[in-house]
Amino acid sequence: MRIAADILQALILILGAPLVRGIIARLKSRLQRRRGASIWRPYGEILKLFRKENLVAPTSSAVFRLAPVLLFSSMVSVAAFVPVVHASALLRSGGDFFLFVYLLAFGRFFLSLGALDGGSAFGGMGASREALVSSLAEAPFLLSLAAVAILASRADIAGIVAWTLQQSVFNISAVHILAFTSLAMVTVAETGRMPVDNPTTHLELTMIHEGMVLEYSGPSLALIEWSSAIKLHSMLALLIALFCPWGMAYRVSVWQLLLALAVYCAKVTFLAILVSVIESSMAKLRMYLVPDFLGVASAVGALAVIFTALAKR
Amino acid sequence: MLIRLAGAAFIFLITALGGLVPLILIIGRAKVARRLAIVLILAANTAGCLVAVFSFLQEPAPRLVLHWVTPFYFSLAADRLSAFFLLLVCAVAVPVTIFAVPYFDLHRSEQRRRWIWAFFSLFLFSMIVVVTASSGFAFLAGWELMTLVSAALILIEGDSPERRHNVFIYLLMMHVGAAAVAACFFLFLPYSHGLDFEAIRAAGASMPGGIRTMVFLSAFVGFGAKAGIIPLHLWLPRAHPIAPSPVSALMSGIMLKTAVYGFIRFAFDFLGGGPWWAGYVVLLVAAVTGLLGILYAIAEHDLKRLLAYSSIENIGIIFLGLGTSLIFLTHGAALGAALALIGALLHAFNHALFKSLLFLGAGTISTSTHSVDLNELGGLQRRMPFTGVAVLVGCCSIAGLPLFNGFISEWLIFRSFLAGSSLVGTKAQIILPLMVGILALIGGLAAACFVKTFGVAFLGRPRSARAERAEEAPFGMRVGMWLLGAGCVFIGILPGFVLRPLVSLVQVLVPGAGVPEETLSIARIIPWIAAIVIGTSAVAVLIKRRERITRTWACGLPELSSRMQYTSTVFSKPIRFIFAQVYRPDRKVERLPSDQPYFPVSVSYRSVRTTSYERALYRPFVESVVSLAHRLRRLQTGNIQVYLLYVFLALVSLLALLRFER
Repeated sequence: MRIAADILQALILILGAPLVRGIIARLKSRLQRRRGASIWRPYGEILKLFRKENLVAPTSSAVFRLAPVLLFSSMVSVAAFVPVVHASALLRSGGDFFLFVYLLAFGRFFLSLGALDGGSAFGGMGASREALVSSLAEAPFLLSLAAVAILASRADIAGIVAWTLQQSVFNISAVHILAFTSLAMVTVAETGRMPVDNPTTHLELTMIHEGMVLEYSGPSLALIEWSSAIKLHSMLALLIALFCPWGMAYRVSVWQLLLALAVYCAKVTFLAILVSVIESSMAKLRMYLVPDFLGVASAVGALAVIFTALAKR
Repeated sequence: MLIRLAGAAFIFLITALGGLVPLILIIGRAKVARRLAIVLILAANTAGCLVAVFSFLQEPAPRLVLHWVTPFYFSLAADRLSAFFLLLVCAVAVPVTIFAVPYFDLHRSEQRRRWIWAFFSLFLFSMIVVVTASSGFAFLAGWELMTLVSAALILIEGDSPERRHNVFIYLLMMHVGAAAVAACFFLFLPYSHGLDFEAIRAAGASMPGGIRTMVFLSAFVGFGAKAGIIPLHLWLPRAHPIAPSPVSALMSGIMLKTAVYGFIRFAFDFLGGGPWWAGYVVLLVAAVTGLLGILYAIAEHDLKRLLAYSSIENIGIIFLGLGTSLIFLTHGAALGAALALIGALLHAFNHALFKSLLFLGAGTISTSTHSVDLNELGGLQRRMPFTGVAVLVGCCSIAGLPLFNGFISEWLIFRSFLAGSSLVGTKAQIILPLMVGILALIGGLAAACFVKTFGVAFLGRPRSARAERAEEAPFGMRVGMWLLGAGCVFIGILPGFVLRPLVSLVQVLVPGAGVPEETLSIARIIPWIAAIVIGTSAVAVLIKRRERITRTWACGLPELSSRMQYTSTVFSKPIRFIFAQVYRPDRKVERLPSDQPYFPVSVSYRSVRTTSYERALYRPFVESVVSLAHRLRRLQTGNIQVYLLYVFLALVSLLALLRFER
């Protein structure tokens, strides 16, 4: 039963991921006074791409073909770390949040290689920019997670969530606020959303993530799109689990899990509204302002860690 | 029975590498002699691996006492710490030797090959003596031999003035370091009755605090110079790239680790931890080393120099672990000290595997394209797929990706930082967890650096005719690289096999340490992740897909050219732009003719990374040495009577000194 619930969680993160994207896209178009496509649209797009053929440049090697596959499988394993409906996960062990961060890096590493293998200018451009953003995002990412882990004096994500569940909502410390701020900024950078990257851009010169996937088509592109949806969903779920887990099932029973799922859906929808409001009201940052953005995130993350030591006294 | 066997293997290892092989190569003129020598090197290193494994299985350690042959007290022993580093040397030497056989056969005369192999063997011998020495004399002799033989191996490939200059800097800095290492030993002398390691260890506990601090500092400086700690790293990016690739692999993969060994031997084994601030000093220097090392590496487009700078970065990571361990030791937290030390030791081993793999890859690239400039490479994966896969494994490992070995050791060091939050005292509680951010930044930059390295060298279109004509390497070279790559993947997926012996080693160095729970949990979870990743990938690959080969859309141009691709220099531009303060580029733009700045006929642009802080640090030192030498020159008159007077005065003053001593 417990294992079944853990598998269910991973499946929610993997299969529900395109829906989250659809909701955000729909909300954004409503905010821009357009009708917008159905929230199920991303599923249709992925299915359509799976039916098409892969276009491969004659100069590309096996790395180009394998990169989307490795990206997808690393995102699947990332999804197995995050608690959604109860404070446990399919894969859990002490220090698993380092694995979470480095598995995201694993996927990114291969996607960047695939982009460079395309042999065009845009792939290299996207990969180079992604290298900048992600290498600077790693420090605040781990700092904020470490701060929360130290506060809970547990080192696995599920354990931290279980500890937070026992705390009162009103007993939130400064560490939580700082770590949340830092992690939210990292989420924006990691998932390539505004103001760091514009996921709906059509101008090659401003692309980061979209530049990397420009040469991909067909099933490969489907895997990449699905992977980035899983990444976004897992990051949102991680934010929810670490900072607002209340509503998760305390015991594993069908009713509790259903209730927890409903609460989770409400929270994700709230975050989706937040994302779409931010994306509709902000312009993309200039490329060289992104390090400043991540510098602020790092500073806030470092403060969160420092506060854990001060809070103990 | 077993101990006799191990002893025999140990004797074989020493005599074969140190005497037999060079002798055969110098006396024997036939090709067979060289073949025999190579077989002996391989056999000796395999024997070395066996000796190392044996001393992990059973006490007492195999020991060779040779003072009936040598004038000083010369003895070798393979206790667990030595055995671990002996394994590191021998396990990496085997694939490197296999690689070197076809490599040295190319473009070299028979005469030169014999000399290279003789020095190659002596180089391995010297490193084995260093890591297994159990007396001060043996250690220093091995240490000196290691420096000289490696310099000879660099010079054997050519002696242009530039090369000589670089070797001069190498030798100079190594001897400053060696002086500090010798000082470490001699500082023990008033308190111990000899330079046998047993005696030194006994004296280490009872020495006064001031002397202990001095020993610690001179060990840090002496071994730090050999390891390439910034700011003592100046020789490393000069000496490593100009050696032949298998020798670069040995220098970066193994020789740097002998310095790590020496530091651990002194700081942990002899002193049992330094003063309270020692850990923080090591941590700070290591953080600077790691960050600057990887930042310099990213900016490089010469593959071998890039790898040399990345060695500096990895030495930084190893010393981050060692510093953390020292902090835990002074707090009396044995478990945390053990965890950090395991992380550092494993990273030393991992770095030996993947860095020698990458240097061998660089050697393969240079033999098949005659270039190691990344901006001239590209598209090699299609031309040399076997080399490509091996180098990719190396790049993934060094970038610290999960399922490869670099991740395991970095993860252990991350965990020890996190464990720092449970120590008593705000200093450790704040500084250690903040190091998570530093190591994450180093890791992120390393990933960016090796995406660039592999992506630009192996993927896309070839950027020059040389890269276009590249061909797959000979079989032996591929085998060497694949063996090292297999080691990286094995440790990355099944870390339990190396972590268990490492725990038993560290329990000797850190008395009272149990088994850190972290070493068990990583060994449990990694195979599951590997199963999920490999399983999902297999399913995704097996799904049948249609594929069409077609040209990349070129925005309406007839064809993309390789000049439209990102080069190594452009790829790193954003990072160089952000960290411009570190690089301080020296830019020169020249427009011709100069009287028409807006309609130039030709524009030339040059941008060189200045090493301003290196100059600020070394220039005053060099100048004072030179001015001192100028002043001393007045003593050298060239007149024989004056020199005789000097001899006479020296004799008289020595006799006077002797008189007053009584």
